[in-house]
Amino acid sequence: MLDADVEVDRREFTVRVALQVAPGERLALFGPSGAGKTTLLEVIAGLVPPRRGHIELGGRVLTSTAPPVRAVPPWQRRVGLLRQDPGLFPHLSVRDNLCYAPSATPSDAELSSLASLLGIGNLLAAMPARLSGGQAHRVALGRLLLAHCDALLLDEPYTGLDASLRRTLTNQVGFLVSERSVPAILVAHELADAQAFADRLAVLDRGELLQVGAPDEVVLRPASRRVAELVGYLGFVPSEHMVAGVHPERVIPGSFADRGLVLTGTVTASRPAGAGWEADLRVGDAPVTCRLPDRPPASGRDLVVTVLDPPYFGSDGALNRLEAHLES
Amino acid sequence: MAGAGIVWLALLGPVIALLANLSWSAIVSSLTAPGALDPLVVSVESGLVTLGVLVVFCTPLAWMLARGKLPFPRVWETGVLCSLLLPPLVIGLLLVFMVGPYTTIGGLLADLHQSATNTFLALVIAEVYESAPYYVLGAQAAFASVEPRLEQQAGLLGDRPRRVFRRVTLPLAAPGLAMSLSIAWARAMGAFGAVIIIAYHPMGIPLQIYTTLQETGLPSALPYALVLLVVALPLPLAAYIWSARAGRRRRG
Repeated sequence: MLDADVEVDRREFTVRVALQVAPGERLALFGPSGAGKTTLLEVIAGLVPPRRGHIELGGRVLTSTAPPVRAVPPWQRRVGLLRQDPGLFPHLSVRDNLCYAPSATPSDAELSSLASLLGIGNLLAAMPARLSGGQAHRVALGRLLLAHCDALLLDEPYTGLDASLRRTLTNQVGFLVSERSVPAILVAHELADAQAFADRLAVLDRGELLQVGAPDEVVLRPASRRVAELVGYLGFVPSEHMVAGVHPERVIPGSFADRGLVLTGTVTASRPAGAGWEADLRVGDAPVTCRLPDRPPASGRDLVVTVLDPPYFGSDGALNRLEAHLES
Repeated sequence: MAGAGIVWLALLGPVIALLANLSWSAIVSSLTAPGALDPLVVSVESGLVTLGVLVVFCTPLAWMLARGKLPFPRVWETGVLCSLLLPPLVIGLLLVFMVGPYTTIGGLLADLHQSATNTFLALVIAEVYESAPYYVLGAQAAFASVEPRLEQQAGLLGDRPRRVFRRVTLPLAAPGLAMSLSIAWARAMGAFGAVIIIAYHPMGIPLQIYTTLQETGLPSALPYALVLLVVALPLPLAAYIWSARAGRRRRG
């Protein structure tokens, strides 16, 4: 179990986070750039000292600012950190990179088995400069796995790689984390990456954990309007002393009052999006964006849509729990 | 290409002039005189000791400068630059005030039956002062070129800082360090300005060239210049070749 409860001062705000990640569990830390996600990972890895905090990993106290004060150095933490830059040692071959950690003493069979699993079996003699981005990331991941870390921290490791490769690598990591039963935290600023990886999703904004929950719960029932904005809600429509959140992908054309909130709006713009269309509507004074399977009417025409089971927020911006409870 | 060739030939001009003005008989007569090669031995020995001193004492300083481990780093860097900017002759004069026989350090050395004027020690001191800034600044740049995140990654994989230095920092900085060391070697072998002030004896090759020039003229002095070139060249050349090989190996 990874148990972290820390406060770290940053220039503009303080990162205050308390979270627990069970062995084999995959937590995705999602939030905008500069929310403090990387800072949190660096604190857990021992690279940044917290102002206040307590971090435990598998019963070992890694950091404690309260007596007895403890700050285990990074090289004794057994915490693996994978960043966007794979950080391969350029003077060592792939094989030597994989076996770099003092704790990594794989047999030839173990090394070949892992290399094959990661799809780098024929690259063991190659130098890192010869590897593609995806191959380099696979080697970096293999290096962490052979180091037998007690926790894996992944800091937006696949940014810059194409979507299908990102998904493949994310699935590989997910599988290996479960197999090795280590807690893993993935920092992501793409919601789809976070959802594809995580058992639980934690939303961080300006250093505060706004919500932690199952990925679908966080997306379908965001705890606040701010969380809704972060997970992709692009419209907020007043409805009976509350505000309904409209996610573009939770909108269907037509009137289906039994399935959600029916809105009539005026089309202001539309454009092709993926295999369908994206339309901007104006509902009263509120702008709403929705994804539709077919081309919407021309600008200036009215369109009736149904927002499927939208979350409602009170005047304080918090999710209307009563509404959520009644719906459930 | 043509421009590069012209610049290269221009830089090589003095060497070409040296070879053009050397006669085989002058080389033989100069270098076969009794004790003629003693300055060569002195220069090589003092140069190697100087390199040892630089590696042991200046490498950690260069690393600390590169990694920002020192408070007020600009002050430290300015200090190194000052010794680079002072003319070697002035350094020699100032060394007299620093380690001469009537100074505190000179007194301490005298207690140990040593002296920092006109001794092998004095020669090494002069060579160290003439070459150290080149090594420190070059080594600093070599260490700075090593991505700190690689060192961080090595630490996270379980390496203690000393082991990280040995397994990551040093191998990655090594080509740059070798180049800096070869520049320092060239400076030490050719040291003259400070040497002539505090270490006239024992005589290395640069002073031998100077005294021969004064005593018997240029034709007799030139063979020693050739010797200096032949003896000083292999180390920088080896550093170049080794750096290029290391670069090729990294590129796979």
